[in-house]
Amino acid sequence: MRLESHPIVDFKRGKEVTIYFNGKPVKAYEGETVAASLYASGVRVFSRSFRFHRPRGFFCAIGKCSQCMMEVDGVPNIRTCKVYVRDGMQIRTQNAVPDAENDYLAIIDKLIDTFFPHGSHYKKFNSPKFLREFVTRQMRKMAGFGNVPRRAPDVNAEYEEIDADVAVVGGGPGGLSAAIHSAKYGAKVVLLDENNYLGGQLIKQTHRFFGSGRHRAGTRGIRIAEILEEDLMKYGNVDVRKETKVFGIYGMDVVGVQNDTKLLKVRAKRIVIATGAYERTLIFENNDLPGVYGAGGVQTLMNVFGIKPGNRGLIVGSGNVGLILTYQLLQAGIDVSAIVEAMPRIGGYFVHAAKVRRLGVPIYTRHTILRAKGEKRVEGAVIAQLDEKWNVVKGSEKDIDCDFICVAVGLSPAHELLYHAGADMKFVPELGGMVPLRTRFNETSVKGVYVAGDVAGIEEATAAIMEGRIAGIHAAISLGYGGDEAEEELDEAVKDLEEFRAGPFGERIVCGLEKCVLESEVML
Amino acid sequence: MKVGVVGAGVMGLSTAYFLSKSGIDVTVFEQKYLLYGASGRNSGGVSPMVDREELIPFALESLRLYDTLPSEVNFNFLFRKNGYIKLASDEGDAEKIREGVSVLRRFGISSKVISPEEVKEIIPDFNPDSAVLASYCREGGVIFPWPVVWGLARGCRENGVEIRTEARVEKIERNGSRFTVHVNGEKYEFDFVVNSAGAWSNEVSRMVGIEQNNMIIKEEVCVTESIKPYINPYIYDITSGLYVTQTARGEIIGGITGKSVDRIDTSSTVEFAVRYAKGVTRMIPKLKGLAMLRQWAGVYDEGRDGLPVVGFTEIDGFVQANGLGKHRGMMIAPALGKELAKLIERGENSAIKKFDPQRF
Repeated sequence: MRLESHPIVDFKRGKEVTIYFNGKPVKAYEGETVAASLYASGVRVFSRSFRFHRPRGFFCAIGKCSQCMMEVDGVPNIRTCKVYVRDGMQIRTQNAVPDAENDYLAIIDKLIDTFFPHGSHYKKFNSPKFLREFVTRQMRKMAGFGNVPRRAPDVNAEYEEIDADVAVVGGGPGGLSAAIHSAKYGAKVVLLDENNYLGGQLIKQTHRFFGSGRHRAGTRGIRIAEILEEDLMKYGNVDVRKETKVFGIYGMDVVGVQNDTKLLKVRAKRIVIATGAYERTLIFENNDLPGVYGAGGVQTLMNVFGIKPGNRGLIVGSGNVGLILTYQLLQAGIDVSAIVEAMPRIGGYFVHAAKVRRLGVPIYTRHTILRAKGEKRVEGAVIAQLDEKWNVVKGSEKDIDCDFICVAVGLSPAHELLYHAGADMKFVPELGGMVPLRTRFNETSVKGVYVAGDVAGIEEATAAIMEGRIAGIHAAISLGYGGDEAEEELDEAVKDLEEFRAGPFGERIVCGLEKCVLESEVML
Repeated sequence: MKVGVVGAGVMGLSTAYFLSKSGIDVTVFEQKYLLYGASGRNSGGVSPMVDREELIPFALESLRLYDTLPSEVNFNFLFRKNGYIKLASDEGDAEKIREGVSVLRRFGISSKVISPEEVKEIIPDFNPDSAVLASYCREGGVIFPWPVVWGLARGCRENGVEIRTEARVEKIERNGSRFTVHVNGEKYEFDFVVNSAGAWSNEVSRMVGIEQNNMIIKEEVCVTESIKPYINPYIYDITSGLYVTQTARGEIIGGITGKSVDRIDTSSTVEFAVRYAKGVTRMIPKLKGLAMLRQWAGVYDEGRDGLPVVGFTEIDGFVQANGLGKHRGMMIAPALGKELAKLIERGENSAIKKFDPQRF
């Protein structure tokens, strides 16, 4: 299932190693995640759901969906999409008898609603006492998700405290840009990212960016990540901490775990939160079946690790992500049976749509996916037409031949840290969900806490870079760095972003932004 | 007779439940929502091994109620009787452990002093070097506090009790022999007002001019990701204050006994997370690989002399039901509520004389 050649990406695979999956040897390459190696070897069922024991594959492949959790070297509940293979690694599936692929307990999915509907654990079998006690004991045996830990990781925990003018959480386009522009004016910057590389989701964007030349249009996303990183490395006052998962913001302390071994506390004067977004899913029958993936999950698999997600895909959603993904799949030699779009017209740019149409992929507008077919993996799908009232048109059901389904229906901001920080939040559909109120310099209601990129509202990488620039400069200025030169660049950066959003595609964003202006900023 | 209860925690709801069982008209006011307070934030350890001898009969009665109430209100509290272990990690506390066991024996409760190696027989992954002595009581175990609150609320409602949530009491006026309670702009008339507001009890007392000065204690708790059954009993280290067990869902839950604070504060701290993680992985080293999923803080109160404050006050009809104290609220609340209901009905109840608010 590994791609050997690709027109754009050159996959540099590491040394061949062997990992053990439920005791069986699996070939893998250094540099691959456990989830990627298992996928390449044909594994599709990664876990079983907590209660119903339904088969689950990964959805996001970037450590958010928790569907790929397994026991790794005796430690339970490890997100296998975030752990890199090592020779001899022992991997086991959880919450299944004997293993996730063939789980006898899957019978629960068929029977539980009849005998034990939701709420029964509180409301049924309460008298007599011996019955309640018996049922409670059985429930205890069934409860719990991860395997019992077999051993303690043999590492010694470390602790480090550092001071920073500006702590930036997230090394994607928004975070990188914020770090660059704070550092540029002399602020001491600490940049924290959970991955072992910088660039965030840019690293799977193999397509050229669009927009004007000033905003790096025509450059491929993967190259933009490199340019930003090179830019950042010019400054000596930047401390980059990769593989650092920030788990909390306590006051102005940003706390994370570096390399799974070190607790790192950054005492920051300013914080820029640039944590990006989650992929959304869609409600349809069997939407949890292995083979139903987020568009980003498929991009990670294919563009980062060079692994084919399947032979024939169905794309749900015709926004730019869906269209670009379709093109990338075709580039990698994978068939796409169709794109379905619930809206009456295509969501993405015309150029992209024209390109995939030219390559023979039908786009069904006013259509939706009804269900995924298959027992343990996707073996097809059923789509149907929608009428003006969004109801399914009877008789319009159509079988689609596919072995994987990509859900490309948008993103939601990854806003947990904003809640930790105590920022005032608001639901703004135009921006993708709950977003923080902010000033025009992207400062939230908590003084000194800024946002940049998708976490501030779903847009795209170019806007994230511009938001990061604004937040970064403003944070530096507020600490007394930069002087007039910084003030001038800040003005320019704000104007730049306004211009960028002035086009027809920015209309929705501007409309959303108007709803989340901090009250103190409202001009009378 | 009409009774207003301020605070819908386990204490307020059990008082309301037993009052309503006798046909008394009760209304319960909760400032936020069910489980907002300490009753929704604790780890659910229950045992007759409470640290004050005066409370042992109430802990025993509460355990009995936890056995009988689920059938009565038709709600499973997910009570797991897997035992309760107290640890001591220094010699001074080891003496307390021995004393505790001999006191329990006097009450006829089977419990024993055990060595750290014997703890390891109960919990195979326990590190015996993390304690010098332990005691074990088979009667105790773990209860899930949420269904306790939901179940009591269900029982209350079936008896005709009105439970009003998002209903913060703003003012309590003395009105002849009755009280007028102001909530969300509405007025309610009661013959008795029960103050079971936990950490907010001092504020409620102040509304009728009583300076109560219960100690307010802030405590932090956290859970890991869910794993299969691993830790069955409840473990409490009396030296460090650290406690740990496993929830009904499989999360490893634990915390450290709280400290007195000047004002109500429910913010989480990283210092707690670090202290807890160090302590608990010393106790059970294999927990090292588990990720902490959530942490939170809660507040509760304790009477100034370390005993609960339950009974009539100098203001006729204003009743205290608070100050339950460290590491035992869930253990004694149902029985205290039951006895308090008797006091309100009959005008006197010698069983809870020791907790008389007018003792100070």
